[in-house]
Amino acid sequence: MKRIVILAMVAALFLAPAIATAACEVEGSGEVNVISNSFPVLELIANTMKACANDNLKIEYKLTTEHKEETAQALAASSSPYDLVQVSNTTIPAWQAAGQLQPMNDLVDKYRDQYKLEDSMLIRIGGDIMAVAFQVNAQHLFYRTDLLEKHGIAVPKTYDEVLAAAEKLKSEESIEFPLGGTYKSGWNLAQEFINMFMGMGGEFFKPGTAEPSLNSEAGVKALEMMKKLMAYMSPNALALDTTAIMQQFQQGKIAMATLWASRAAKMDDEAESKVVGLIEFTAAPSASKGAHPATTLWWDGFSLAKNMDGDRDLAFQMIMLGLSEEVVKANNDVAIWLRSAYKPTRFSKGVAESAMGGAPSYPMQPQISMVHAAIGNNIGDFLAGKESAEESLADVEAEYTKAAKEKGFIK
Amino acid sequence: MRPRIQGCSYRLGCVLPNLNNPRKCEAAVKLKTFLAFVGPSVLAMVGLIAIPLLGVIYLSVYNSHVKTEIVEVESSVPLFGGLTKTTVEKVPQPVLDENGQPVKVWEYVGGRNYDTVADPGGLVTALTKDRSQTADGEPAGLAQRLNGMYRDITDIDFWGALEFTLLYAFVTTPCILVFGFILAMAVHSVIKWLRGPLIFASLLPFIITPVVGSLSIYWLFLDNAVIAALLEQLGAGKVYFLKDAITIRTLIILYGVWHVTPFAFVILYAGLQTVPQDALQAAMVDGATYWQRIRFIIIPHLRALFSFIILIHLMDAYRIFEPVLVFGSNLFANSLQYLTYYILNFEDNYSKAAASAILTVIGICILLLPVLRRTYREQKGGA
Repeated sequence: MKRIVILAMVAALFLAPAIATAACEVEGSGEVNVISNSFPVLELIANTMKACANDNLKIEYKLTTEHKEETAQALAASSSPYDLVQVSNTTIPAWQAAGQLQPMNDLVDKYRDQYKLEDSMLIRIGGDIMAVAFQVNAQHLFYRTDLLEKHGIAVPKTYDEVLAAAEKLKSEESIEFPLGGTYKSGWNLAQEFINMFMGMGGEFFKPGTAEPSLNSEAGVKALEMMKKLMAYMSPNALALDTTAIMQQFQQGKIAMATLWASRAAKMDDEAESKVVGLIEFTAAPSASKGAHPATTLWWDGFSLAKNMDGDRDLAFQMIMLGLSEEVVKANNDVAIWLRSAYKPTRFSKGVAESAMGGAPSYPMQPQISMVHAAIGNNIGDFLAGKESAEESLADVEAEYTKAAKEKGFIK
Repeated sequence: MRPRIQGCSYRLGCVLPNLNNPRKCEAAVKLKTFLAFVGPSVLAMVGLIAIPLLGVIYLSVYNSHVKTEIVEVESSVPLFGGLTKTTVEKVPQPVLDENGQPVKVWEYVGGRNYDTVADPGGLVTALTKDRSQTADGEPAGLAQRLNGMYRDITDIDFWGALEFTLLYAFVTTPCILVFGFILAMAVHSVIKWLRGPLIFASLLPFIITPVVGSLSIYWLFLDNAVIAALLEQLGAGKVYFLKDAITIRTLIILYGVWHVTPFAFVILYAGLQTVPQDALQAAMVDGATYWQRIRFIIIPHLRALFSFIILIHLMDAYRIFEPVLVFGSNLFANSLQYLTYYILNFEDNYSKAAASAILTVIGICILLLPVLRRTYREQKGGA
């Protein structure tokens, strides 16, 4: 008996690499270094890429939540230790505008058929293909179907309807607060503002320049709407992040919130959630009647570093293998994949409806990350009642202008 | 005469200073031997502290970025299910040189980065602004005027951060001294076999990584978290700890006291082992009470250690970072170290972050000056 077990183990050891190499038809040899953020779908991609390693091909993959800082340093160096870097809406504009990423038009043409590359996966900036994306994400409305039915509330389509629904839900005793929101001061809060501001038709910059135009009617209206919504949230709202709001839902403490699609499946996780099957997903509410859903669409993908020291052909093939159709088919529910092989589930409904409703992509200007930071650093003063909306927006503009001047975006 | 720490004479190479006259030396080593002993650590300090510090100062007087120009760019990104969105916008793009490489700007800016971080101009405006009338045109009282000034000053990132940093340093320092001393006295007075486990347990908060400790505090006080739920059970009603400046600041300060008290404790506990028993016994014979013995023998004996703890803790407290990061509440409690982190990561400006870091170093030096001067005098005077 023991001998059979050992034999089986030895056989497994020999078979495993065979299976892996069978799935990897890479031409070329050498070394590919990759860096990315760390969350489940990226772990999956990392393992897929690493399985392609053989005697002639070395794959190093670094998963780290500090990837943004590290990648920025690597790209700014004379030679990058990473050939492939993971990018998203927020990171690619700045790196592209600093000339740190390389176009991959030729490689896309060369490998398009071999790896069934789809046009909807390509990020193009000014005629150059700068990244290959694999998933999308967005904040959209999560709501408790049972409570809305109980109180005879139709699913809200606008934020005014959300406010009306929240007023009715105040009487509901099973929940603590009608609404939740990822209003944690800093990055999260700024993201909520950007969604609302773009939903109000706001423009971040004066036309044709990098000068800010946030202290506008749309800016003030967005802030005022956020303050009205906050009245129906936990008094701790300005310290609660995505995970905290997800838990409020799971514990049955709130009835509605706009939350990230990547958290949708967690609502039905029986190990954590008390509200399995009770939460539905739909487009983010509009900031005003007839406007597009007040949210922004996000994507994640991979780019080639301009200063890479490896083989770009080989590195590109690694992207293709990590994001292949087989990977999507075998792991349908891990992400909202961009490949057409992806079968939408109820957890991707909110993103789909937001996109169909015309929700914009997160802005692609290289200076937007500074705007995002300045918003997060200042609008809390208004929401906490320390300043007027105009004062805090003036602070945002002043702080951004200072930073953008130093970076040469504003003369 | 108070016993003093040995080994500090003002002559190089003196290994046995004359206790009665610090300028005299009883025994000396040859200069060569002395240098051989001291050399490696001096080299390490130059290599690992002085050179990086000079590097940071160098960075802080420059500014760098990639040269950009605003051009019309068509970009397309995926939406969902095969849809893509194409937009045409005027976007800053890199200016390329003849080899197709982006042009980098590297300019000397002198003190400009320091000026933008500390914003002395903003401070002067906040201090000198005319506040004689309220927004409604009524004459403003002193309290209103001061409040307005406070609001305007703390609205500037640097001064707001400095305010809480100093508050944190000056509130936690006396607390850790008092609690550390009480803890040390308590452990010192229990039976011997209990001391080991007690010391270990008391040291635990200090061993825990700050970011983990901060996160635990955050998780303890969230909505429906253990403490909030417990208070509700006890009939205190719903308490929201993260809703305003007072509670968040209190939590951060309590965390600081909880985290650093063990440090004061372990130093003072070690000091207690060296209190001369004959002096204590003589005091008891003279009829001194417990409090008098603490007041006149133990505390004076530990005075140098108290200075040492204050010195180290002020340095640490000035660099408070993790709780501010974890509570995400630079809205309610900011710190200088967080400001540096913010400039580096969110403004992506390492020159300005370097200036901010140097300002922190200068701040620590100013803060430590009185303590250092006092220690120097005590060592020199031998009193």
